[in-house]
Amino acid sequence: MSLIPGRIATFFGGRRWRSLAPLAVLIVLCVLIAIANPNFIELRNLVRLANSAAVPLTLAMGLTFIILMGSIDLAVEGTLSVAAMVLVLLAANDGNGNDYGWWAVLAAVAAGTAMGFVSGLVQTMLRIPSFMGTLGMWFIGLGLSVYMLGGTAIKLNDASIRDLALHRFLGLPVAVWVAFGAFLFATVIQYHTKLGRHILAIGGDEDVAKLSGVNVVRVRITAFALAGFFFGIAGVLAAAQLGQSHAVIGDGRLFAAVTAVVVGGTALTGGEGGVVNTLIGVLIVTVLANGMILLGISPYIQQTVQGLMIIAAVALSLDRVRLRIVK
Amino acid sequence: MNEPFSIKRVFEGKWTQGAIPLVLLVGLLLIIEIAAPGFLTGETVALLFANTAVLFILATGVTFAILLGGIDLSIQAVASLASVILAQLLPSLGLAAFPVAILSGLAFGVLSGVVHVKLRVPSFVATLATGGVVTGLALWVSNGRAITIEEAGRENTAWINATVIGIPVVVLISAVIGIAAFLALRYTRFGRQAIAVGAGEPAAWAAGINVDRTKIIAFAASGMLAAIAGVVLAARLSSGSPVLANQLLLPAIAAVIVGGTAITGGLGGVARTAVGALIISIVRIGMTFVGVNIFLENMVFGAVLIAAVAITIDRSKIAVIK
Repeated sequence: MSLIPGRIATFFGGRRWRSLAPLAVLIVLCVLIAIANPNFIELRNLVRLANSAAVPLTLAMGLTFIILMGSIDLAVEGTLSVAAMVLVLLAANDGNGNDYGWWAVLAAVAAGTAMGFVSGLVQTMLRIPSFMGTLGMWFIGLGLSVYMLGGTAIKLNDASIRDLALHRFLGLPVAVWVAFGAFLFATVIQYHTKLGRHILAIGGDEDVAKLSGVNVVRVRITAFALAGFFFGIAGVLAAAQLGQSHAVIGDGRLFAAVTAVVVGGTALTGGEGGVVNTLIGVLIVTVLANGMILLGISPYIQQTVQGLMIIAAVALSLDRVRLRIVK
Repeated sequence: MNEPFSIKRVFEGKWTQGAIPLVLLVGLLLIIEIAAPGFLTGETVALLFANTAVLFILATGVTFAILLGGIDLSIQAVASLASVILAQLLPSLGLAAFPVAILSGLAFGVLSGVVHVKLRVPSFVATLATGGVVTGLALWVSNGRAITIEEAGRENTAWINATVIGIPVVVLISAVIGIAAFLALRYTRFGRQAIAVGAGEPAAWAAGINVDRTKIIAFAASGMLAAIAGVVLAARLSSGSPVLANQLLLPAIAAVIVGGTAITGGLGGVARTAVGALIISIVRIGMTFVGVNIFLENMVFGAVLIAAVAITIDRSKIAVIK
């Protein structure tokens, strides 16, 4: 079958070219934006760029592991808002008298991990495809956090947690370093642990992985919990950056994260790509968003551009061509 | 097996699966009637139907996508865009704003279908992406704000909020759509082919069915019905907004699944969706009645969705659950 994406992919020279394509796109994008508006490469703007990449990067790290298994986690926004809600309600805030300091951060990350753990259980124990199970978890998380916040925005008053966003270390906000730490952590897991190998194996071919002795159920649950862990950290960062938590703290984050993972070159079919690809994907998405603002393009159109990017990136990945049934 | 009675097997039987939602609906109605006698009068039932109309229209559209074994995650975005277009164009175009808004939904439905089929992108990602595209456009067109339909425009939307011999027009609209969709699925070539594709795509393909065309038509129908739902919603609320229908994605999908259409495709239909939509609507009213916090609704529907999928899914059809 000579399908359109197949032909385009062949035209671009196949696998080798494709693995470098995201990096090339990133460089071209940077050069074009810098030419159009030299303010882009000012130090101030680069810091701003790094800052706005922090939350998407942390989210996308978690999501990468799920997509590497060939699954999807739509509960990104729900988990993030639950973590942000837990953080804000347990740390010093203007809604209740709690002031547990950094225990609140721990609790928030634990809450994110727990959400992911439940997603994993739903998928493996109830045997429901992940896009359905996590769709449910998305709204369970959202409902829970809005309920606990009473439908209003609650301010985060803990100065030391706020410092995640406000304090700078070597010129960059601490949140950026945390996100970078999350990236390093994800790299170690993917390339240097059994879990990372098993996730790749499951994504490549689940039956083969099972026959080779991989405990598929355990790996899947662990991966979803791990993703929840990253979403939890992202929730903490987001709440620290905004200085509050509210009903729409997660809006648009799922979309940006999926775009970043897919544009970076991780295949939706699983087993191909990884966290380094995702780093580049996150940079592409952030640079594009930043560039559009510098060029005076309405920020509202961003989601439209991201949507088109998802379609283009998925369509151009060679692996789809092998599949006859696409549901 | 010597098991005399197995709950699991009862749940897995096709016949019981078809009957459970209906029994559930009747049970819910009885509970409400006992709790609040006099609920089942013509007036409140008309109100119930009117409040279910938008949800039902959305759910009918997504039924087509789910019957094929796919999913449409862009319906809330398409509905919101249609509401924005309607609110924006009513002052200048008058009644002609309706077809424009509805055709926009058709266009984005076709886009979803083409991306899914021709570019071979799984439907949940394809529709997630087109949903983003559409949301971006709606935000852009409306400048991120809600647009109130002013007095002049309201003249043209008044007919939607009217009643004909005691029946609200929205109920009539959703009834017409429901019957048309029911007939289309049962008696047209497209409908039969859609069910065949959902039941077994390789077999449908081998039997000479144009799978691609069937899928594109289904997604087009889903988009168009989403736009109609958006238009009706805008007329009822006298406002169009880029986030107008955001809260309806989950209830709409839940309505389809709770009604007994399996996400694995090939099993289900519009009549089941009607039952499902009524169940969701009654559960929502019931929650308000019992005093469940309105913010918890999403939690309940999320849990209901997971439970309903777990019961209705046909696991023999998926080799590997991803």
